[in-house]
Amino acid sequence: MAANDKREQLLGALHKAGGLTPGAAAKVSAELGVPEAQVYGAGSFYHLLGDSETKLRVCTGLSCAMRGGRKLLALAQDADMPVAECSCLAACDRAPALLKDRSVLVDVTQENVKSAGGDWRNVQGAELADDWNGRVGSNNSELPMNLGGTPSFSGEAFAKAQSIGADEVIAAIDESGLQGRGGAGFPAAIKWGGVRAQEAKPHYVVLNADEGEPGTFKDRELMLRRPDLVLEGLAIAAFCLGAQDVYLYLRGEFTGPWIALEKAIASFSENKLFEGVSFHLHSGHGAYICGEETALLEALEGKRGMPRLKPPFPHENGLWGKPTLIQNVETIACVPAIVLQGGAWFKAMGATEPGTKLYSISGDVKEPGTYELPLGSTLDDVAAAAGGYVGELLAFSPGGASSGFLPASERKRALDFAALSKIGSMLGSAGVVVMNTESDIRELVREQLIFFENESCGQCAPCRIGTRYLREALDRDLQGKPSEQSLGEVAEVAWEMNEGSICGLGQAAALPLTSALQHFPGAFGGEKRK
Amino acid sequence: MSKTLKLNGDEVEIVAGESVLELARRMGQEIPSLCHDPRLKAVGACRTCLVEVEGVRRLVPSCATKAEEGIAVTTANARIERHQKALFALYMTDNVDASETDDSSDPSELHALAERVKAPTTWPRMQHKRFQRADDRNPYIEYRADRCILCARCTRYCEEVESVSAITLAGRGAETTIATADARSLLDTTCELCGGCVDVCPTGAMTEKKPLALKLLPARKLEKVRTTCNYCGVGCQMDLNVDRTANNGRGVVAKITSPDAGVLPNDGNLCVKGRFAYQFIDHKDRLTKPLVRNQEGLLEETSWDNALQIAAEGLKKVAKRHGPDSLGFVSSSRCTGEENYLVQKLSRAVFGTHNVHQCAAT
Repeated sequence: MAANDKREQLLGALHKAGGLTPGAAAKVSAELGVPEAQVYGAGSFYHLLGDSETKLRVCTGLSCAMRGGRKLLALAQDADMPVAECSCLAACDRAPALLKDRSVLVDVTQENVKSAGGDWRNVQGAELADDWNGRVGSNNSELPMNLGGTPSFSGEAFAKAQSIGADEVIAAIDESGLQGRGGAGFPAAIKWGGVRAQEAKPHYVVLNADEGEPGTFKDRELMLRRPDLVLEGLAIAAFCLGAQDVYLYLRGEFTGPWIALEKAIASFSENKLFEGVSFHLHSGHGAYICGEETALLEALEGKRGMPRLKPPFPHENGLWGKPTLIQNVETIACVPAIVLQGGAWFKAMGATEPGTKLYSISGDVKEPGTYELPLGSTLDDVAAAAGGYVGELLAFSPGGASSGFLPASERKRALDFAALSKIGSMLGSAGVVVMNTESDIRELVREQLIFFENESCGQCAPCRIGTRYLREALDRDLQGKPSEQSLGEVAEVAWEMNEGSICGLGQAAALPLTSALQHFPGAFGGEKRK
Repeated sequence: MSKTLKLNGDEVEIVAGESVLELARRMGQEIPSLCHDPRLKAVGACRTCLVEVEGVRRLVPSCATKAEEGIAVTTANARIERHQKALFALYMTDNVDASETDDSSDPSELHALAERVKAPTTWPRMQHKRFQRADDRNPYIEYRADRCILCARCTRYCEEVESVSAITLAGRGAETTIATADARSLLDTTCELCGGCVDVCPTGAMTEKKPLALKLLPARKLEKVRTTCNYCGVGCQMDLNVDRTANNGRGVVAKITSPDAGVLPNDGNLCVKGRFAYQFIDHKDRLTKPLVRNQEGLLEETSWDNALQIAAEGLKKVAKRHGPDSLGFVSSSRCTGEENYLVQKLSRAVFGTHNVHQCAAT
């Protein structure tokens, strides 16, 4: 292990102790030599640790809310189960989902909850482990990630990377135009080169598999179906940067992907591949913000997942202060194909921007799932891949909660980084949620605002207070209050959240409301809702 | 050659290692700040000190930005003013009304700054109440969540300065609060009741229980009198906060606060005795005049001259009859180093014995 101290084990130790029950902090404190209050403070940040009494968590993410998530929640509450709502479980294609202990159950019906007889242990549903995968496009070996294909543990791309050398690999990534697939779209080659240029050693490679953006489940599918690509990409990165330790941070709900990765590590190991590289799997514990790369580093170090101030950026001051490459699952999974087929080949796969992109689409389409399409495909293209729309299109969210809502008139716009940013939205994680005219946009905006309110780390006031302020403002609107009493300050609060927040969460958190006010003004200021 | 940067258009010299906030304040610029404390690592969490740096798209916290050669900093313009107004307006929706802040241990810096930047006060107040943990039976320190801005000065002070780590940020998002492990009383934690958390709190969320209970505040009428703590020989500087009108005009010490960080020898830090054990000042059992025994063996008040005379004569009589080693001198741990020095001088040079001790020495 590369840990500088035992603090790295803190969150795992609390998990083993059954969460933050009375006395657990003292026990872990004694084990690890970390002050008790700091153990408690760290644990209380993570919902799966801090609230160990809740055994069922019903997803109220956008897609699950559209499929009756709140009804499931109410039924479980009526039955006196230890239940709470939770943020998106990355199972939007099989909505509604819920978390039972640490297992994700999908396609849960009201009957599943009613027939449990008040005992949470009896709630059934399909289980996100080995026994179900989401829907993906068909096998096409021309595609860089090809979710429909079969994993390969031959290490061909890694061998080629070794033979051409790090400079050539990074040059190929540069030529490919690969942009970070986690949301920000930052050019991957600059990150790789940035870490490589640092004299401080060691260098670390970190996989960001804390997929939690509402409407997004592509990384889940990638790890379940093509863990080979993820691990080979990481091994190539480790080789290029001279790193020995690779940290994989998976959200705590990803039991299935965890198992898939463990098996794949074993398969590569049987083939005597990646022998100089140590893969360390780390579990998240219920905190969306840890998908923000510096918050993720804090979590890996056993602390509260509060984003750091930037600069300095992780490429110079990352894990334990060392130069660190952090990449999203999908970004890293593109690397083996780029190494094998060349940067120009990858770049040419795109429509408006380089490469293919995994679009996870859910909501009102016939076949929700993860589809690998040219980057810059339109909503109509993605919906067509998903079997077409259900009902008449009203609105869509192109890239998770942080991308806000767009009207049907944008259905032909390229879903890429530049074209969406131009209209004040973003591609983000490309978690596309489609809403038809049966939807109540105000209620859906409210779900997104609740999401941000629950997931704000609380460190800085613009986000901590702003997210709650906006939700309360919308509640006043829903109660039929005149708009000057309800939504009067929203624009100013949104402006401040963007200007004043430390990280991307707070900066984007007003977008669901402001975009809806912009595109669907008629939906607000109406009659009181019940 | 000394290094310079541009501050609001003027070329100014940089003192090595300082932050933009420190430099700007040195140059007389008024930049609001709440989470900043020179003793602590800058975290940029309160967002009040944001400034513009040319070429950087986002506003940056001046407390956590190094003053680097060649950068151009703007500390006031329309964008920064708009940010400050909106930020403080948000803080005000989530904090107590200004009229309630008079009972704080110090005037609320938050409310004073909100007024200074002319933040709107009309935004609807947050409906959701802040999470308040149950009362704590410790006698000195109270936490009032509805005034807290979660700047974490208290928890960082507790960890970084005192190395005690009794309190922590706990929970997440709008539910974040300041807590102890398992929400126990401070008495059941590593807390040493130094009261530093009270002292660094900019809003009165961390406050001293006693003056509240005695209704000795509002703080604004108190007069600060600098003095030296007399509990031990370190010589910590501290401020008596005196209410001159109380106690039938005799005045009363309502509480004790630290001078600013940087005032030596204690750099603004105090211990539990210095900060909280001040009620002896007006205690009815306190001796304020020397006492000697009269013919009947009863104690009665006398003058210092007389008391010292009697003590000196008594000591000399014993030394003469039984020799100097029949005497022993023990000084109090409340004496200063200088006083202790004088006691050993008295013992060794005047009476000629090495029987001298200081009660804090063992």
